[in-house]
Amino acid sequence: MEQIAEARTPRWGMVIDLNRCVGCQTCTIACKYANDTQPDVQWRSVIDVEFGTFPDVERIFAVVGCQHCAEPPCVPVCPTGATGQRGDGLVTMDYDRCIGCASCVVACPYQARTIAHRHEWYYGVETVQESRTRHREREGVAQKCTFCIERIDEAAERRLTPGVDWDVTPACASGCITQAIEFGDFNDPESNVSRLTRDKPYFRMHEELGTEPGIRYLYSTPTVPGRDPPPGDLGDDRLGDPENPLVGKRQVFWDWRAAMNWCLGGMASGAVVMLWLGSLIAPPAPQEHAVLNFLFAVVMGLGLFFVALKMGRKMRFWRAIMRPRTAWMSRELYAVLLFAPPVLIGLVRPLPSIFAWAAIAAFLFLVCQARILYAAKGIPNWRAPLIPWMIVATGLFEGTGLLALIAGATGATETARAMLAIAGVVLALLNVGLWAAYRASAGTAGIGALSRRVIAGASPLLHFAGHGLPLVMFLLALLAPAGSAAFLAVGGVAAIGGGLFKKFTVIVGAGYHQGYALGKIPQRGSGARAAPRLIEGFANPVGDPMATR
Amino acid sequence: MNESDTRKTVPVYCSQCTAGPDLMKVEVEDGVAMRVVSNFDIEDQHPGGGRVCVKAYGLIQKTYNPNRVKQPMKRTNPKKGRDEDPGFVAITWDEAFRTIGEKMRALRAKGLLDEEGFPRLAITIGGGGTPVQYMGTFAAFMKAWGALDQGYGAGQGVKCAHSEHLYGEFWHRAFTVAPDTPKANYVISCGLNSDASGGVVGVRREADARARGIRRVQVEPHISVTGALAAEWVPIKPKTDSAFLYALINRMIVERPIEETCDLPFLKERTNSPYLVGPNGWFLRHSESGKPLVWDLADDTAKPFDAEIGNAALTGGYTISGVEHGADGEKFSHHEVEAKPSFQVLLDLMTPYSADWAEGECEVSAETIRRVADEYVSQACIGQFTEIEGHTMPYRPVAVMLGKGANNGWGAYGCCWARTMLACLVGALEVPGGTLGTTVKLVRPAASRVGSVIPGEDGFMNFPFNPTSANQWKRTPSIRNAYDTLIPLLSDSPWSPALGPAHLPWLFQKETPKNWPRTAPPEMWICYRTNPAISSWNPNEVAERIAEFPFTVALAYTLDETNHLADILLPESTDLESTQLIRIGGTKFSQNYWHHEGWAIRQKVVEPVYDTMDISDIAARLAVEVDIHEDYIAAINSGAAGTRLVRDGKYDFSLPADEPVTPDRVWDSVCKAASWDLSGGREVHDLSWFRDNGFMLREFKEIDWYIYPALERQGLRFEMPYQERLTRHGRQLAHRLGEIGVDWWQDQLEEYEFMPTYKPYADIWLNYAAEYGRNPDDYPFWALTERSMQYAWGANVGIPVIYEVAKNVTGHKGVIINRTRALELGIGEGDDLVIESVIGVTEGKAVLREGIRPDTVLMIGQFGHWKTPFAKDLGLANLNPLTDISLKLTDNTGSGADLMRVRVYRGT
Repeated sequence: MEQIAEARTPRWGMVIDLNRCVGCQTCTIACKYANDTQPDVQWRSVIDVEFGTFPDVERIFAVVGCQHCAEPPCVPVCPTGATGQRGDGLVTMDYDRCIGCASCVVACPYQARTIAHRHEWYYGVETVQESRTRHREREGVAQKCTFCIERIDEAAERRLTPGVDWDVTPACASGCITQAIEFGDFNDPESNVSRLTRDKPYFRMHEELGTEPGIRYLYSTPTVPGRDPPPGDLGDDRLGDPENPLVGKRQVFWDWRAAMNWCLGGMASGAVVMLWLGSLIAPPAPQEHAVLNFLFAVVMGLGLFFVALKMGRKMRFWRAIMRPRTAWMSRELYAVLLFAPPVLIGLVRPLPSIFAWAAIAAFLFLVCQARILYAAKGIPNWRAPLIPWMIVATGLFEGTGLLALIAGATGATETARAMLAIAGVVLALLNVGLWAAYRASAGTAGIGALSRRVIAGASPLLHFAGHGLPLVMFLLALLAPAGSAAFLAVGGVAAIGGGLFKKFTVIVGAGYHQGYALGKIPQRGSGARAAPRLIEGFANPVGDPMATR
Repeated sequence: MNESDTRKTVPVYCSQCTAGPDLMKVEVEDGVAMRVVSNFDIEDQHPGGGRVCVKAYGLIQKTYNPNRVKQPMKRTNPKKGRDEDPGFVAITWDEAFRTIGEKMRALRAKGLLDEEGFPRLAITIGGGGTPVQYMGTFAAFMKAWGALDQGYGAGQGVKCAHSEHLYGEFWHRAFTVAPDTPKANYVISCGLNSDASGGVVGVRREADARARGIRRVQVEPHISVTGALAAEWVPIKPKTDSAFLYALINRMIVERPIEETCDLPFLKERTNSPYLVGPNGWFLRHSESGKPLVWDLADDTAKPFDAEIGNAALTGGYTISGVEHGADGEKFSHHEVEAKPSFQVLLDLMTPYSADWAEGECEVSAETIRRVADEYVSQACIGQFTEIEGHTMPYRPVAVMLGKGANNGWGAYGCCWARTMLACLVGALEVPGGTLGTTVKLVRPAASRVGSVIPGEDGFMNFPFNPTSANQWKRTPSIRNAYDTLIPLLSDSPWSPALGPAHLPWLFQKETPKNWPRTAPPEMWICYRTNPAISSWNPNEVAERIAEFPFTVALAYTLDETNHLADILLPESTDLESTQLIRIGGTKFSQNYWHHEGWAIRQKVVEPVYDTMDISDIAARLAVEVDIHEDYIAAINSGAAGTRLVRDGKYDFSLPADEPVTPDRVWDSVCKAASWDLSGGREVHDLSWFRDNGFMLREFKEIDWYIYPALERQGLRFEMPYQERLTRHGRQLAHRLGEIGVDWWQDQLEEYEFMPTYKPYADIWLNYAAEYGRNPDDYPFWALTERSMQYAWGANVGIPVIYEVAKNVTGHKGVIINRTRALELGIGEGDDLVIESVIGVTEGKAVLREGIRPDTVLMIGQFGHWKTPFAKDLGLANLNPLTDISLKLTDNTGSGADLMRVRVYRGT
């Protein structure tokens, strides 16, 4: 249920009428000019959706953009506090605080946020109008619809009412030529938006995600009733079509550089944890343990270096520590800060307690990594329930692989080799099981067809080379101690390679944004989809109030 | 918003199409146009609430486009052609005017007409009237020049609701037609894409009506934007709409009792349905008065139509005496012959056109056709009345609309006739809730549709046909498209030349038809705001003809395909850099029904970005160069800039003929005259006032949305269903053409019928490949086009922001093809497609959708550019190069249609 704010606090939102909107894109362009967005950045747009198969077809235009959710997934994930939420419900952006990490972009299930890393000119060259309307503060940072926040603030100053006084109404609503977009205060029972949604049925997009979106869609008229989308409309055939506007695009914000953080950081932290666990049974030489931890810290640092490369505003990187209360990315940095001292101290004071400290910090780092991905509610295959477990298990497996590679390459005690082999077998089996479960539950977890296709496509190779091969190698290492070093090394490489492949698959290949969804659709179109007939007992509800006979 | 000297919002209008009007404001900072915003100053008067269409926002980028022609240029390569580099070099404005002036003076010295009697100067202004909103005082220059040829088309007119323009204006003063949307409850639309073409006013009215509960049935081969919003989309085979419409009539008057389905008083009193028809098909007339006769069932006698009639017969046959007036004065006197009311003739004609028959023609199920007919009748509220501003009017909230595929080219006569007849059957023509006309362009007075309802022959409205009688027929066409020779229905208003068969000069220039004046190219051609080398049918052929023109002056925006072939380029200031006052309100195109009328200003909001000139400056300079300045001023004084500057006994804001005048001075006078006229002299506002205030309005009566009261007041009838006058003109034209040995207009002449019989017009296209010796079966697809709201008429294909937002609408990135069919053919989303007709090829990416018939492909807008900056890199297809210019595809009104049979395959 929606939260009802205090009576005096406005709750700004929109009502969009699917039977008024003609998809003309006037809102799109009005927004572009009002907010000076650069080429191909559209805070507001209208998608053109088709359902059905000829000759039973329906076409719908739906306005999309930031929903200014009451429970916005983009806010808690922001590590800097650049994304915030006001008392009146507006989800805000502070461009000067944003580091361009894209956490909010991948957290949004409405594809409402983007980052433009480079400024583009419409004609490829600068024009005087564009140079005057350029917003350098938005370059390299997250941006999205603000509900024209400055107009709303101006309304308060001028004692005007957004949604009623057009000058202080968001540009899309005041520009919409069909008045398909109405803006107003849901906490005011007499507002236009309250009245419209009191009188007519509506749906909200992706309500099941608990976002409490602030846009409500009307879908019926007296002639055109609403209905649930027929199941056939939501099959893989149509929702696996990348050109279908309902289908989320492949995310490009966390690319290979981000994936490298999960790969290197996961592997390094996993190695630290597994080394420490091993040390509880058969401790290596303390100095060796400390050096290895240092080596793993370097690997982790390299991962962080890669992720820093993708930041839009690299010099503000430090700001990512600002939101530890909610943001796992901030927490990850705190984990790094917690991890670094024992690594360094360990070099001079290689004590078990220091190693324990490092291992706990590394594990926290690994958990943070898992939760960062899981918190990205805008990417269905990342927010899947098994993702945190998979990231942790993979990190431990990669870490084991790294240790096995080192053990195989440098020689290790038989006990250590055996322990690594056993751990490798157990973790390989665990990863096999988790991946199989992840893949099997993908559909029910809401992962889209395109994403599932990538996951399914990667599975044979992953299972063969990333799970099966290390499993066999670790088993051989266990069963044939003579060649265990080689087996361990090969198994370690395979485990690391498999982890890399898995994370690139999950993060880069299968990382599709949450698509749009119309919870209800108007009953209109051709053939079986047409509105109920007037003849055959369906009385025309229009009436003729002006007829006087 | 606080305004200062450096920041202000300026009222302007945008009419980049004939819809709108978009009375926007432009935010200007330090002399730079920054943003376009709605104009809520006019929210209460503007039926679109002062909001602005997507296209208008593009005016910012249009102005600052670095690809504009930045200064006058001249061609240095005398060879012209697509593959020739024109070698344009910059010149001064003085040199440009001097060069053009010399040429023009030489033309005048030789005489305005060439040896064949055609004007030596041709001017194409394209865009179906859109340029009129921009051409400032250039119209005054044209008037001052004298005889010129406006008959070279750029695609406008012949492609654009052409039959609707002509027949609509003839039957009910409807240059275009619209439902009375705010009151209508049920609309059948054969392809009218009004949610894309209606502009801010039309689209808003439609949206309000939908929210209220209007039900629209959209009948078209693909689901357009408008089809998407309709309660029901009915897919139909292209060019068979008349079969569908005839079957609706059949259902209403043949299958069902007319007492149940028809507004009989309307048919009897407001149409020619009771007029008796003699054995030869002409009205049977009173022997002495010559008035058509009506059978009065009240006393079983025949009476002149305007006599006191108790109960006019609509059906049956009656034995009476009288005379028929045939063609060329031929008369047939009859004694005691059988005559039928024209409604009975209609019944006889419609009897074979059952829904079951239509299903075979148009591929819409008979059940659907019958149901739609029944729904239409059920919603017509026959017998009900309503009050409009104190007047009691019939209330008929149903309408039938036609799109361009239906109201253009072969078959369009039948569609327009059936549409109008469907309105007449239920009494829904020109009454609240029904089918209305918007504006007049052929009849006069131009500014008053209701005022144009004046008595003519036989109880009908007057209509100024182009004469076809032996002594009045214009044997030698006045211009190359022969509108006044070949097309009686075109009349002879200032709009008529451009509404003629404006594609034919391109054809005749290549090959003169038999017994016809040689169509030599004009010695000078001025091209204004149009690009016929893209927008015409067979544009490549048209480009070759343009290349044959000896001297072309192009008012240029960018180096586009037509400008590529020009000799002089005159860069014109954009809409934000120039000034004009224009009429708004009243009733106008695209559902512009206002409760106000008046004037609005488009003004210079920024100084020209480049070395360009306001068109009015160009016109004034040319007038001086050509020594017609006095005539130019006289033309302005007499109204060529929008309104008369002097009215005897009222006001005199006329301009002096003996001194140069700046455009600002012209518009100052126009502002004063317009405001005087609007207020009856109570308010006189100058240019400065309009610049500050943007517009001035007065009340416009809603009752004047409808011409029914004017007909009723004068006892006039709609000329439906029987077309005696038209047929007479057709027969006479046949005689005239026969007399001079013209036999290539025979098919067109056969279209003149008392009532249009159904013909399988789709077959013309289905079999067209045979004209080129090809097998029609090799071209299994229909290729169609569709209006793009983002582009249509906007001359904005080179504007990136428009492309960016238009891409959100399906079809703006490629060619729409049925998804299932495409997959069967091995065509995937985004594949390169080649679309080929017998005359041309176009290419684009495949866009797979289910909302289109499996035998149809759709190309939105007009693209295929090879020169226009930005647009040439879009890789978008164009229907035009596939579409032939030919007499075979030209109907009797001189129009064709935007469709062709094609084959489709994957490119390599």
